[in-house]
Amino acid sequence: MTGLLKGRDVRVKPMIEVRNLTKTYMTHERGHTLREVAKNLFHRPMKEVKAVHDLSFTVQQGEMLAFLGPNGAGKSTTLKMLTGVLHPTSGEVRALGLVPWKQRRQYVGRIGAVFGQKSQLLWDIPPADAFYMNKAIYGVGDREYKQTLDELVSLLEVGDVMRKPTRQLSLGERMKCEFIMAMLHRPELVFLDEPTIGLDMIAKENIRGFIRSMNSQGVTFILTTHDLDDVEMLAERVMVINHGAIVVDDSLSGLRGRLGEKKSVRLTTETAVTGEGLPGLSIVERIGPLEIAVEVDTALLPLKRFIREFNESYGIIDMSIEQLPIEAVMKELYTEGLSFVSSAREPEVIKR
Amino acid sequence: MRGIALCLAAVMRTKLAEQMAYRSHFALSVLLLVIGDLVVPFVTLLVYNAGASFPGWTLHEALLVQAVFTLAKGIAFPFFFGMVGTTLSQVREGTFDLLLLRPRPVMMMAILTGFDPDDFGRLISGSVLFGVALSGLSIPSGFAWLQFVLLFIASIAILCAVSLFLSGMLFRWVGSSRVFDIFDAVTRFGMYPGTIYSKSVQNLLTYVLPVGLIAFVPATALLGRSGWGTLWALLPAAGILLLGGLFWNRMLRGYTSAGG
Repeated sequence: MTGLLKGRDVRVKPMIEVRNLTKTYMTHERGHTLREVAKNLFHRPMKEVKAVHDLSFTVQQGEMLAFLGPNGAGKSTTLKMLTGVLHPTSGEVRALGLVPWKQRRQYVGRIGAVFGQKSQLLWDIPPADAFYMNKAIYGVGDREYKQTLDELVSLLEVGDVMRKPTRQLSLGERMKCEFIMAMLHRPELVFLDEPTIGLDMIAKENIRGFIRSMNSQGVTFILTTHDLDDVEMLAERVMVINHGAIVVDDSLSGLRGRLGEKKSVRLTTETAVTGEGLPGLSIVERIGPLEIAVEVDTALLPLKRFIREFNESYGIIDMSIEQLPIEAVMKELYTEGLSFVSSAREPEVIKR
Repeated sequence: MRGIALCLAAVMRTKLAEQMAYRSHFALSVLLLVIGDLVVPFVTLLVYNAGASFPGWTLHEALLVQAVFTLAKGIAFPFFFGMVGTTLSQVREGTFDLLLLRPRPVMMMAILTGFDPDDFGRLISGSVLFGVALSGLSIPSGFAWLQFVLLFIASIAILCAVSLFLSGMLFRWVGSSRVFDIFDAVTRFGMYPGTIYSKSVQNLLTYVLPVGLIAFVPATALLGRSGWGTLWALLPAAGILLLGGLFWNRMLRGYTSAGG
């Protein structure tokens, strides 16, 4: 398989530099009662919303960075400014040596974007027609187009699919074609906004495999998602955004480390577990009368002691020990971010 | 330049394929547009058959004004006016983002994505009407034809400018689907010979809302009723088109996308 970036300089160098990026916009609010709706026709109180506040970070070439955060955190707004779709209120961005919103045409010719909820395909005609249209829009030469298309089609296994009308394709097939649309002009930097939303496990795995393959060829990916499996399987670096500010910028293992040495333990016992009792132990869920899921902070309660004492008290029949799921880490970070920002107004930034 | 031409051809080809995916819809749309556009000329025919008339205008002369109006719409609607509808929906849904991600001028992409081959039906009805009107008139001179062609280009420029103004408004007044009604209400005056209105309305329709330039002025030129002086209309048409472009780009800066 020929690399998509074959012949290009793929040495590690800063690809994106963001400094003090801020975006505020005005919006109006109204209630839901008929009186409030009627009042709103004549008077519309405006409110300033700080969607993104003072973001600063850099992204290296070849990186795979995931933006995480609860709904309304500012992830998509950040992504839109990085793609040149939105102008920031203040701050600077240089990506691929260009200012995205000022040198838009030059810049977008070198980036790709896939939006899980905004299709670039044309509903009534086959994806092949839409690919051809993109070829002309991006000014891709005939030979380069054919070569890239062949590579992508074989990698994503959509040979038959791309000649059927888009409306007849499954969501997974459509998403594969969305990726082809975004990659036909061989972008160096690709933005993915919830690329696996709504897909089944097999389709997700295919898409993730494709992203990994492209990344190994030097393509830089910036991903926003709520699917933490995407993060675990793709991202080397995670940036948690909440209330428009960076709460954490760290590696995935670094993120896990933030919660200390905690383990997730699932147990089936001879007698029902009555209470927590031990320091460093918390009950997460009572699955059945004799089945329980607990969290063990091994810094306070070593596993050896936990197993011995639990066995003596309740009699262990079955047990599984796992790392704390990433969901637990994120839940803690989202909550922590919320309370932190509302109390201190300055987000904690953990530098890599 | 070659790249832009290839891009135009590819997008139009794709849009045509998209429209023709549903053949019955395409055929029905074209047919209904033809019928819809022939309603006013049919009423005009009934008026003249009943013995009434637009003062100073024969039936065929009046039909010529309506034919030029329909022809102008037959070119402007498929090529430019679709952008009003696509801007309306894309800005509201936030999918206008996708146009900003293309390495081409945004206005060009907005016009191209709005390309609507259904509206070529208007070109058919306009051509039929134009033929019927000319059949009852003496053959225009070469000079009249030259004047007509230039003024018809001005007419298209004005309609293009109107579509830019309406589309541009939609970046700020998101979801205002009534912009089409504004267009219909204002341009309806252009379907009749300008001289049937009072002098003040004529001035309004020529200098303020240049509706008269869409059909009345080019038709008058083809009828040989105006001299070279009429070509002054080319200047305001170019000016309005320029203003439309500036307005659209200015309004584009206010695009805020939709929530992610």
